Amino acid sequence: MSVILEAKDLTVRFPMPRKSLFAERQHLEAVRSISFQLEKGRTLGIVGESGSGKTTAAMASIRLTGPATGAVEFEGEDLFTLDDEAMRKRRADIQLIFQDPYSSLNPRDRVSHIVQEPLDLLEIGDEASRKARVEELFKLVGLRPDQLNLFPHQFSGGQRQRISIARALATNPKLIVCDEPVSALDVAIQAQILNLLAKLQEELGLSYLFISHDLGVIRQVCDDIAVMYLGRIVEQASRDELFTNPRHPYTQALLAAAPSLARRKSSGAKRPQQLKGDPPSPINPPPGCAFAERCPLAEAVCKQMPPPLENGVACHVANR
Amino acid sequence: MSDSATTTTAEAQSPLREAWIMFRRNKPALVGMAILSLIILATLYGAFIFTGDAYDIVWAPHEPPLVTPEFPLGTDYLGRDLVAGLLTGGAPTLAVGAAAAAITMVIGVAVGALAGFFGGWVDNALMRFTEFFQVLPALLFAMVLVTLFTPSLTMIAIAIGVVSWPQTARLTRAEFMKIKNLEYVTAARAIGAKNGRIMWRVILPNALPPLIVSATLTVGVAILFEAGLSFLGLGDPNTMSWGLMIGSNRADFLEAWWPVTFPGVMIFLTVFAVSLIGDGLNDAFNPKLRER
Amino acid sequence: MALLEINDLKVEFGTRYGPVTALDGVSLEVEAGETLGVVGESGCGKSITALSVMGLIPSPPGKIAGGSIKLGGEELIGLPDKRLRQLRGSDMAMIFQEPMTSLNPVFTAGDQIAEAIMLHQDVGKAEAFNRAVELLDRVGIPEARRRASDYPHQLSGGMRQRVMIAMAVSCQPKVLIADEPTTALDVTVQAQIFDLLNDIQRDFGTAIIMITHDMGAIAEMADRVAVMYAGKVIEQGVADDILDNPKHPYAQGLIACIPALGKGDAGRPPPLAEIPGVVPPLHLLGEGCAFADRCAHKYDACAKAPVLGGDTAHPVACHASAEARI
Ligand SMILES: Nc1ncnc2c1ncn2[C@@H]1O[C@H](COP(=O)(O)OP(=O)(O)OP(=O)(O)O)[C@@H](O)[C@H]1O
Ligand SMILES: Nc1ncnc2c1ncn2[C@@H]1O[C@H](COP(=O)(O)OP(=O)(O)OP(=O)(O)O)[C@@H](O)[C@H]1O
Ligand code: SF4
Ligand SMILES: [Mg+2]
Ligand SMILES: [Mg+2]
Repeated sequence: MSVILEAKDLTVRFPMPRKSLFAERQHLEAVRSISFQLEKGRTLGIVGESGSGKTTAAMASIRLTGPATGAVEFEGEDLFTLDDEAMRKRRADIQLIFQDPYSSLNPRDRVSHIVQEPLDLLEIGDEASRKARVEELFKLVGLRPDQLNLFPHQFSGGQRQRISIARALATNPKLIVCDEPVSALDVAIQAQILNLLAKLQEELGLSYLFISHDLGVIRQVCDDIAVMYLGRIVEQASRDELFTNPRHPYTQALLAAAPSLARRKSSGAKRPQQLKGDPPSPINPPPGCAFAERCPLAEAVCKQMPPPLENGVACHVANR
Repeated sequence: MSDSATTTTAEAQSPLREAWIMFRRNKPALVGMAILSLIILATLYGAFIFTGDAYDIVWAPHEPPLVTPEFPLGTDYLGRDLVAGLLTGGAPTLAVGAAAAAITMVIGVAVGALAGFFGGWVDNALMRFTEFFQVLPALLFAMVLVTLFTPSLTMIAIAIGVVSWPQTARLTRAEFMKIKNLEYVTAARAIGAKNGRIMWRVILPNALPPLIVSATLTVGVAILFEAGLSFLGLGDPNTMSWGLMIGSNRADFLEAWWPVTFPGVMIFLTVFAVSLIGDGLNDAFNPKLRER
Repeated sequence: MALLEINDLKVEFGTRYGPVTALDGVSLEVEAGETLGVVGESGCGKSITALSVMGLIPSPPGKIAGGSIKLGGEELIGLPDKRLRQLRGSDMAMIFQEPMTSLNPVFTAGDQIAEAIMLHQDVGKAEAFNRAVELLDRVGIPEARRRASDYPHQLSGGMRQRVMIAMAVSCQPKVLIADEPTTALDVTVQAQIFDLLNDIQRDFGTAIIMITHDMGAIAEMADRVAVMYAGKVIEQGVADDILDNPKHPYAQGLIACIPALGKGDAGRPPPLAEIPGVVPPLHLLGEGCAFADRCAHKYDACAKAPVLGGDTAHPVACHASAEARI
């Protein structure tokens, strides 16, 4: 299997506004030196709590966020060293689906134009063939041709997400970054979209970088999974491994906390393990393991030294 | 919201036609359109029907309206016909208003868009520049400009444009800063759109509603500004305009109200009509208000 | 007689398509110490039901067009504003989905809770503030006294929701309505909030109406469940019955389409079960079963609206189910 996207030591630091004129400028390290590989035709999931840096990591890895350091290779080509024009051309291969079906489509554009725009911009085909392609895409994602001339607000959330998918597919991309594509949808609609994404992957041989905070969704669509906590990857494993044998205490806590049909009030079922508190602030993160404050297994060393990612898990205790 | 397109059938129509259909539904905007059309028609063609020279002294000064049938609106302090004055003075007044609004929009939108879109030092530099113009006392600055150069209508329009763009710039900047972070802008980037396209094709159309409103207000403000300059005796004395009529007759307002009031009413009607049309345009170009 | 009884509630909204019926004959009841889960797709009327109980339907455009809501035997519909205000906060309270916007940004957490206490109880400022601190401690906020003087923006989402809960339970209401209280929160925090709500119920015997679209949350929280669709209750019963043996095709689909969380095994999970289509907009609802367009079991009887009936312990509004065709 060949690797389509590889991130090495990816770090993103956002400068914070100065507190006062003379105060030192603080930085927020949203993503801290993460590395991952996405294999062709597979789905790499990134899961983690709000603010853990999932979106920033994904955007940085396709060069859509500003100040990133490290390296990202797409099909062996370093994206960070490409000039702007070459990167623009490359975008045909890398597409994006967002979380919010309401703000990800330009409200003043007709949906047919929204889907056709990537073709116009990258000058693919002539006007007639672009139009034909748009109709074909509409069919592919399950929309009707008579809806081509409507505006985004005339669609429901799930239908808008289909439009986003059609737009993302327009240029025949190889990689699609899906940033929580179903988080804003009802479960019934979520199932439709997840099935559609799986079908498209099968038919078109797509690779997905798939972000979600819902472990059920992650398990449904991802082959490999990276768990993020406060800007770092704390565990990385295949789906089977992660769900049968989660090793990082944070992964275990996430699995334990996820609501489940099996845990019934009637039978007095209790969650096995309960995390206290919230994640620490990404400005001035703690020196040791970021999870130490909340971790049931924490030892003295955890508060002093950041655990390295070894054998797919970044935990002093689990790696012993 | 329970909006769903499953049951809508879409008739394909050209965007302009659709906008016109929307505009037509807006009664106040149609009224505005009617008023403005009448005013424009009158200023363009009125002189052919009502032949009289606005600059000629034709009667005794301060003839009240509705007394002499030949001069239904009376005469001014020199004995010039007011109807002729209103008809001749309309075109320059409207031209000054429109030109000044155009200048304001072009400078204001360009500066605001660049500042809001790029942020950082570009924003800082442009905003300092804008503030400089904003703290200038507008009227004083326009007076200086007009006195330094010849007080022609062109100069007046430029002077008004130059002092009134900062507001538009601030408004544009705020809209751009808000919209540039929305996901559809990132989406445009992700399909390889260049900055210019993102600014003009993606962000600007979405920033338009408040800008259209502000542009129509600017037309009004510019007309009033021109009146103000004329009122201070700084208008172009060789070109009849409603502002000039008010300016030159102001001293005798207590003796004769009509030479000041009629041009005033015309200015009011124009500004009113323009703002109704602005509202209508705003709605017409907003797809969200269109029938599902 | 149950603590809270909603009977045949009808709510209408004036829209540009004319009046639409957002709630069409909703009947629910909750006993003291019990949690009723209300589930359904976005727009089906869950929040409107909750707001009707609180007397907070935005009017216009909304209006209660019929039915009755009784709290401890007292009819709430048509009650004068003054009496409603008394009841709100003291007998019934509500927590909202968005903990970011439901607290007032210019007052401290402690002050807002103290304010709520003083509104209903005859205590002084200092006393109320001390009670607020106790409550914050009770809902699991560490260093409650210090946190009490924090402003909402200084608190995390989870802590804000705790503050909301503290405020809601400050006068030990008989009924607590939680409208998607954890949708905006992370799962680990959501688990904490669920436990807190369960604790409060155990300690005070509070009746809880838990609105959610998450069947997992229903399993963990609810004793009984009402499933809503397009302004109607279409199935109702004990939580275990609904989860293990749903009768309405919609309820069946809703449960089947959840991605399972079990252990991973080799290969990809099979595609999820789907409910095709979307909820029809209210103004386009016809005569028949509102679910018919999306239903695999539809037959000619479905052209007429089914009524909630059958087994009194587990009623369902579906022709196919009533005639045992499913
Ligand atoms: N443009 C920005 N400037 C400054 N800080 C930012 C910016 N974008 C993100 N951050 C910060 O970086 C951190 C990671 O944010 P990110 O959006 O990547 O998280 P996430 O895991 O995607 O969260 P969510 O689940 O809420 O989408 C957060 O603390 C966020 O506040
Ligand atoms: N102010 C209003 N004007 C018109 N219709 C309204 C208004 N508020 C609500 N509705 C309609 O009432 C119906 C029920 O809305 P409600 O907010 O109760 O849905 P919900 O089940 O809480 O959905 P969600 O899961 O999205 O919160 C919706 O179809 C909505 O369109
Ligand atoms: S009544 Fe008919 S259409 Fe409605 S859910 Fe039952 S079977 Fe389906
Ligand atoms: Mg995100
Ligand atoms: Mg709701």
